[in-house]
Amino acid sequence: MSDPVLNLKAIEKYYPGVKPLDRVDFSVQSGEIHALLGENGAGKSTLTRIIGGATKPDSGVIEYCGQVVHWRSPKQARDAGIHVIHQELALFPELTVAENILIDNQPRNALGFISTSAGIKRAEEALNRLGVAIAARARVQDLPLADQQMVEIAKALVGEVKLLILDEPTAVISGREVDLLFDNMRRLRRAGIGIVYISHRLEEIFEIADRVTILKDGRVAGVSAVRDLTRESMISMMVGRRLEQIFPARPATPSVGQVVLQVNRLRAGPRVKDVSLSVRAGEIVGVAGMVGSGRTEIAQAIFGDRSIEAGEISIGDSPQRLDGPRSAIALGLGYLTESRKDEGLFLGMSVAANIVAPMLGAVTKYGLLQARMEQTIAKEQIAAFSVATPSCGTRVHNLSGGNQQKVLFSRWSRIASRLLILDEPTRGVDVGAKVEIYRLIRELADKGIAVLMISSELPEVVGLSDRVIVVAQGRVVGELEGPAISEESIMNYAVVSTERGADLARGPKEITA
Amino acid sequence: MSALAVVFHRNRLMSSYLIVAALIAVLLVSGAALSDRFLTLRNLSNLFQQAVVLGLVSLGQTFVILLGGIDLSIGALVSAVTVALASFLEAQPDMIVVGLVAVLVASSAVGALNGILTIALRVHSLIVTLGMSSIIFGAALMYRKEPGGSVPPVIEDLAYGSIGIVPYTAIALIAVYLLAGLWLQRTRSGRMLYFVGGNYESARLNGISVKWVTVLVYTLSGLCAGIAGIFLTAKTGVGDPRIGSALTLQSITPVVVGGTILAGGTGGVFGTFLGLLLVSMLNNLLNFSGISSFYQWVIQGIIIILAVGLRTPKRD
Repeated sequence: MSDPVLNLKAIEKYYPGVKPLDRVDFSVQSGEIHALLGENGAGKSTLTRIIGGATKPDSGVIEYCGQVVHWRSPKQARDAGIHVIHQELALFPELTVAENILIDNQPRNALGFISTSAGIKRAEEALNRLGVAIAARARVQDLPLADQQMVEIAKALVGEVKLLILDEPTAVISGREVDLLFDNMRRLRRAGIGIVYISHRLEEIFEIADRVTILKDGRVAGVSAVRDLTRESMISMMVGRRLEQIFPARPATPSVGQVVLQVNRLRAGPRVKDVSLSVRAGEIVGVAGMVGSGRTEIAQAIFGDRSIEAGEISIGDSPQRLDGPRSAIALGLGYLTESRKDEGLFLGMSVAANIVAPMLGAVTKYGLLQARMEQTIAKEQIAAFSVATPSCGTRVHNLSGGNQQKVLFSRWSRIASRLLILDEPTRGVDVGAKVEIYRLIRELADKGIAVLMISSELPEVVGLSDRVIVVAQGRVVGELEGPAISEESIMNYAVVSTERGADLARGPKEITA
Repeated sequence: MSALAVVFHRNRLMSSYLIVAALIAVLLVSGAALSDRFLTLRNLSNLFQQAVVLGLVSLGQTFVILLGGIDLSIGALVSAVTVALASFLEAQPDMIVVGLVAVLVASSAVGALNGILTIALRVHSLIVTLGMSSIIFGAALMYRKEPGGSVPPVIEDLAYGSIGIVPYTAIALIAVYLLAGLWLQRTRSGRMLYFVGGNYESARLNGISVKWVTVLVYTLSGLCAGIAGIFLTAKTGVGDPRIGSALTLQSITPVVVGGTILAGGTGGVFGTFLGLLLVSMLNNLLNFSGISSFYQWVIQGIIIILAVGLRTPKRD
């Protein structure tokens, strides 16, 4: 083995009442991609903060490049060559790529003013080292997310970087963008940089990582070469118990319910060009496709939140022209959006208020809200969806991601008597909560609710869906049912269609130009 | 468990209330020590007579801030109401009810227009209400450059009259605050206000008519300014196009001191009422001690920063 670039010995951290890290050993070799795995709350972020100098350990030793170090600030760690790239990118969207890359060391000219041309040159050098074609003069806000991530990595490459920490970089990108990221990670690995890679997506660990350290409740539950592990052994180390089954069993008899949602040749905005699909009662239909393929926009159009240019949406037997979410809710539709914080929850308000938000009428009597009725409903839902909350008066802000998601299920399951649309239902949720959410989705379907589930996580689409619709470039490009559903068959449709679609889109432009 | 406790995180708001209540207690004790006339019924009714205008505009401002906006047209609107009412009643002293209803309808309409423009133009209400403030101020000046007009004694009675020992102003102020509290905590539209202020997108996707709520809130703020204008006319007996200009910024003080946050969605009228008591009592006490009004401004500024600074959760 080569020398470890980073070696943590018996790191401990205490906070009043909790011990996020308990005698954790962790080492990263140079030229290695080391995955850090664990459920939310297992201690990954605390460990990352300690490595990056943002938090001091209460005991234990940090060795970096063979020297014992005590970081006093993140800047000190960064100057020594440790770069942490957080999931929420720390970029300035209004500034150019070059300005972002050289954020605190813009080159100056003889007069002491910032030299734009020298800055662009240095930024281009960093981008070239990454092998990405991003214009140094472009504004960051005009770049796709995947490129923004590359800018963040290029920032690290301006100085001398020895250790790069990537915190869930694939949570916001998909498909080819992930491939590009992985290519660059391999390139950096060849250059001898040590990489710590954090992700909830196990399949990525197998694809990219050399070794893995698994944290569980602040302790190391296992360190191993990735090739010696299976998906199942990783999961059981993470959750500390064997998961007999991640996905609930499909019903023995295929669903024969009536068609609840029928979409015919829908066109709605630039991202929904021609979409037809149907969902029957009791059925889970998965919608797969790349980010940007129009998946979310389809959901918005069905929920009445996007104006329809052509085509028809029928709920039950009758065609509907919904003029907004309110009409959709009145028809028994529910929509769990992709971003629970921005378009779902009221973080500053109580669990109870969040649950009853779309059904205030049901808790109003004599024109006044009835706190007792509100709490009765909230308590029923909290019990039914086993939301872990101290009380129904607790602010949602204080709950974990998985429990916030369950609050949304609690809310919409009462509204969505016919159709429930789920957009990334397990985003940012740990494995344990995922398993529970899968079970809840299946239970809702078993009650006769039609479920339309959009997801970027293929194992989830494959494991849960009765039928899968593949979307690319705003069109339905494939439909799979029963045994035909597999990650390969989905990717086949999604990728092939995307390439063909891109060619088609390019063709006519060249002719007119 | 009260409805308030269900809707909010108790600790943060409670700590605001406790800090403001503690400051009020300090004022009470030092006031009693400074003068035996401070803790008298007479002074208490004085206090309400002085507080009623600020109390009313702060109430409207509370609604708007809870929605995540700000209303900068309040001061100009109050001034315009005094001008309109005093001028109208000077000409038609017998048509008191008509005059009162007319200014209330007009000020509500201005508020509604603020709300409609905020939605239609999709800009922050700060810009819309700033423009509106200028328009109303200009219009009032066009009509009357200097203070003037007059009101019948019945109107003046509003400001100085009382039932037994309880002044009308105290009754009015407490009644509207109780109504507002009931509205916010116990009605659908009140709850919707918190939803829209807390997260506009979430509110929309939960089927809440965000536009309707927005227009309602600005209308209520306009109505509050209208009522405040009536009391101010009653107090001074004239219409003055400049009299309300300081009220716009003053109306924000009791709101933020009372724990309502500018980002919207958190807070309430109880906090504003406490904030109003604190500010009014402070000014009242400083008057008693014969301290010049320059110092009053300085001390009021310190109190604002102190009250807000003490409760902000500290990060590690």
